[in-house]
Amino acid sequence: MNKKLIFIAVSFLWIAVAVGLVISKQHIIRTGKTVFLETMPVDPRDFLRGDYVILRYKISTIDLRQIQSEESYYGQGKKVYVKLEPRERFWEVTAVKTKKPVSDNGIYIKARVKYCYNRKLELNYGIESYFVPEGEGKDIEKNMRGNKSLVEVEALVDTSGNAIIKKVFAR
Amino acid sequence: MLLGIISSLLWWAVIIFIIVKLVSGGRKKHYSWLQRELPLWEEKNIINKEQGDAVLSLYKLKRVTARKKMDMVKVLTLIGVIFVGLGVIFFVGSNWQRIPSHIRATMLLAITIATLYTGYIFSYEKEGFANLGKSLLLLASLFWGGSIALIGQIYNIPTSENWYIILLWAFPILPIAILFKNDYVHILASVLLIIWNFLYSSDNNIANYYYPIIVFLLILPTAKNLILSRRINIIGLLSASFYCCFNKYEWLALLISAGLLAGYLARKEERVYLYSACLSFIFWNIAYFTVRQLQPNLFFLLPMGFMLYLTYKDNIEKNLVFCLAGLMIGTNLALSSVSQIVNYPFNGLQFIIFQSLLGISIYSAGIVSRNRGYLFPIIYKISGCLVTFICVYLLAFKALLEEWAGAANNAYLFGSLILAGIIALLMVDEKNSGNFKNKSRRIELAALVAALIGSIILLVSPRTVLLNTIAINSVLVVFALSSIFLGVELKKPPIFTLGILIFALFIITRYIDLTWALKEKSLFFIVGGLVILSIGTLLEKQRRKIIERMKPE
Repeated sequence: MNKKLIFIAVSFLWIAVAVGLVISKQHIIRTGKTVFLETMPVDPRDFLRGDYVILRYKISTIDLRQIQSEESYYGQGKKVYVKLEPRERFWEVTAVKTKKPVSDNGIYIKARVKYCYNRKLELNYGIESYFVPEGEGKDIEKNMRGNKSLVEVEALVDTSGNAIIKKVFAR
Repeated sequence: MLLGIISSLLWWAVIIFIIVKLVSGGRKKHYSWLQRELPLWEEKNIINKEQGDAVLSLYKLKRVTARKKMDMVKVLTLIGVIFVGLGVIFFVGSNWQRIPSHIRATMLLAITIATLYTGYIFSYEKEGFANLGKSLLLLASLFWGGSIALIGQIYNIPTSENWYIILLWAFPILPIAILFKNDYVHILASVLLIIWNFLYSSDNNIANYYYPIIVFLLILPTAKNLILSRRINIIGLLSASFYCCFNKYEWLALLISAGLLAGYLARKEERVYLYSACLSFIFWNIAYFTVRQLQPNLFFLLPMGFMLYLTYKDNIEKNLVFCLAGLMIGTNLALSSVSQIVNYPFNGLQFIIFQSLLGISIYSAGIVSRNRGYLFPIIYKISGCLVTFICVYLLAFKALLEEWAGAANNAYLFGSLILAGIIALLMVDEKNSGNFKNKSRRIELAALVAALIGSIILLVSPRTVLLNTIAINSVLVVFALSSIFLGVELKKPPIFTLGILIFALFIITRYIDLTWALKEKSLFFIVGGLVILSIGTLLEKQRRKIIERMKPE
């Protein structure tokens, strides 16, 4: 095969993959609606991408007895849609569905089931990491612990339920 | 139960390592030394080429071409490239804020494409810079990883989706590895795919069927002339198969095993495929057991039977050890399933006795193979001897005998009795055929019978701890003495030395066993040390004398 052609094809592939990844995320930023979420952070380090703060949300654990739920048990790894509604300062869960209702214009955020035990559902929303400049993760955590304040996350959720972190700030 | 499986796997890992070292380790080292030295002797006119060829044909060795000298420029370029690549990844990791993130990402992507272009130019357009070009293509692949990681960082893609980042790194570099035939990038992609496999499985809690399919259909076929990459991928497949044991992915383990077997059938000269297929089938059997504990895996006999057939047909002695390990583990898993079906409890003592009887059976198979002129009698004997010795040594501890003697497990009891019956019948048949007439064979038979009787005593009366301790320690002494006498009789110093070692180990263990409970530990060590020193000196002196006597004859 012509080597020059391979070089051109690989260059296009790389640019396409990188741009595609950026576009998919920019789409959420452009079309997403803002929600405010309550969190609790801890600070580890990612080998590939440096310091980051793990964000654990209040909406990550759901008691299925207190909300509307289509099922009483959800298998590990299952995709679900969680309906969020504003309650005072933060947005909270009001329903869990296996498919996003077409007629409902409310905000549904997509999640994966980590585990479900005793009608308690533990979920991952794909917004559990927030990357910070090297060394700052520990400082942020220390400050927050010292002030005993909570961390607030401003996230954007698009119409398909994909979410992205817009801003993280201490309250 | 899982602990039992892991410990038996560990046992077998040790046994396989020892046997492989015994069978080939020493010889291989000498052979490769000879292969390297011969051209030098010919160059110095110590021997001529015909004599060199005669020496090589004596040991069935091939003439090796002189090893390529390490190209310093190539090595330095490669190290430089890896340093720069890692530097960029760490730079991304530091999340430097002075340049806006999108400009950083665009710059890095532009540098990546520029490096790719330079790599292409030096590899194919300019003559004489092929190595530099090859290294630059690796650098471009590392930069590509950095670019993807940076975009992931900008958009806070969570660490639970690192598998996705690694996948986006590994796949787009495959055209460079395969179409540009770049060895370095092929190795990088192989390592990344292994990492992707584990991250994907652990983050999503599902079996990753894509990984073996990609490796079998794309990576291995394109690594025909790249042995390091093939080895890395086989290790990746084996570790993926091993991971299945703990995650109930029995179908994935089966797929990997079948693929490795097909790999061997396609490339028979590469025996590592057969060894890994054998190991992978063992992992499949364990995974099958963890999923269907109440169903003994009789299907396992099919691949194992085929493995044994290939081992004999292609005369691959090392693989017999893997087959024996597989059959032993398979028998134990089947018995565990039967025990669970009929609700028999686990009994440590019966478990070890059963292993000991399996060891004796394997040794007996060695005797039969030798007497009838079949292949691999030595492998059977070494495997059987090691398994039996380890079991008997463990059983010789009084404290363990007391602790392990619990409620009886009839599955293991009957299994052991059947094995003992088969061994006895085999030996009677061999004796009637006149195969135990000379002295050395009678010594061997004596050790085997002692081990058999010791195991049966423990089996039928597990509660008589004192009698059992005496019986099993006597077996250990018989092992030591028979090995010493056999060594003298056959004039084989290693067997003789093994007997001395067993004897020394027996004395040290019993000393610790009997006196460790004493309050005065200083006395324990001083007396013990003195006793061991005196016995050691005496035994070593006698050993040397006897070995010296063996030599002139």
